[in-house]
Amino acid sequence: MNTSSIRTALLLLTLIVLAVGGTVLWQQFTAPRITEAEQQLKAQRWLSVLPEQHYDNQPLQHPLRLGAATLDHSRLLAGYLATLKGQPRAVVLHSQTQGYGGPLDLLIAIDEGGRLIGVKVLQQQETPGLGGKLVEPGNTWLQGFVGSSRQSIADTAWALKRDSGQFDQLAGATVTSRAVIQATHDALRYFDEHRQQLLAGGADE
Amino acid sequence: MNRPWLAAVSLAPLLGATQTLLQASAIALCSLLVIGLHRLCMTPLRKVLDGSAKLFASVLLAALLVTCLELGLRAWALPLSLALAPYPALIAVQCLLFEFALGNNARWRTAAMTLAGFASLCIAMGLTRQLLGEFANLRLASLLPGALMLLGLLLALYNRVRQRRAPSRRQGKL
Repeated sequence: MNTSSIRTALLLLTLIVLAVGGTVLWQQFTAPRITEAEQQLKAQRWLSVLPEQHYDNQPLQHPLRLGAATLDHSRLLAGYLATLKGQPRAVVLHSQTQGYGGPLDLLIAIDEGGRLIGVKVLQQQETPGLGGKLVEPGNTWLQGFVGSSRQSIADTAWALKRDSGQFDQLAGATVTSRAVIQATHDALRYFDEHRQQLLAGGADE
Repeated sequence: MNRPWLAAVSLAPLLGATQTLLQASAIALCSLLVIGLHRLCMTPLRKVLDGSAKLFASVLLAALLVTCLELGLRAWALPLSLALAPYPALIAVQCLLFEFALGNNARWRTAAMTLAGFASLCIAMGLTRQLLGEFANLRLASLLPGALMLLGLLLALYNRVRQRRAPSRRQGKL
């Protein structure tokens, strides 16, 4: 082994140590900031479904224990309680249903009287331009549900007009529209059936 | 490994990460920063290392720079980093090709010109795609196939403008 190859090996070794050390240090330095940014982003996305005047706590810090969360057409993955001045005002339910292109994740906010106050799509794999219109900025179809409840609309009317219900559908996206309506109805029914436990902080069964 | 490869690899961020002006400027800036730093660090190493040792050092540096860039983006611009998704990581491949496409003797002028061309093309793509997508309401412009057509049109326009100054045999070359 001549001197030049030893020098090369030493140089590469130093480079490896510097590179690995630098990466680890930088990772350590940014880790807390990344966690914070991720939490912020999650809170921003999740809480945009709740109108601001409905809560003054940090709902994501108050997860609900959901019992029997498999519903007729959907599954509840998580729930959060929003309170205003210590009084329970609304719950946010994370519901997963089957869309046209894959699982469709919805956030459904319901106030203490069982009225829907917001629906938002969290994740979707629908066809762009058809079912995907659901998440296009400026689409107001989801807003059409806000304010409705099982008291104001009979259970049988929670369906598309073509299924003899009372809701319009997204043009060209019957499966997606049906999935959203059924999941919303499921969530409202779940809330009505478990109202006391949910507002008290959990639905044990 | 030469210039056609460099152009092919640059095509990915040019089409995939230029949906809005913000994304396009971000990816252009990141590429400039990382490729510039990579070249700067390689300049002293190029003289003492050769062959596979140089390739190894180059890969190591590219990986280091891109990892730090990704972590930094996640920490201070998380929504942007999610929107750009895999493209910041691809800059590492661009770095390597840049290193070997431009030859051993460090020609800063050529490198800077190529980088500036890439960055301005990114920003032009971002600007036209956002304008066409949002104000002209042309959906195609915000999708990938539309981006490819737009890139072709932009390059054609560039060649048409250049034709007056440069001899025609230079047409279509980077």
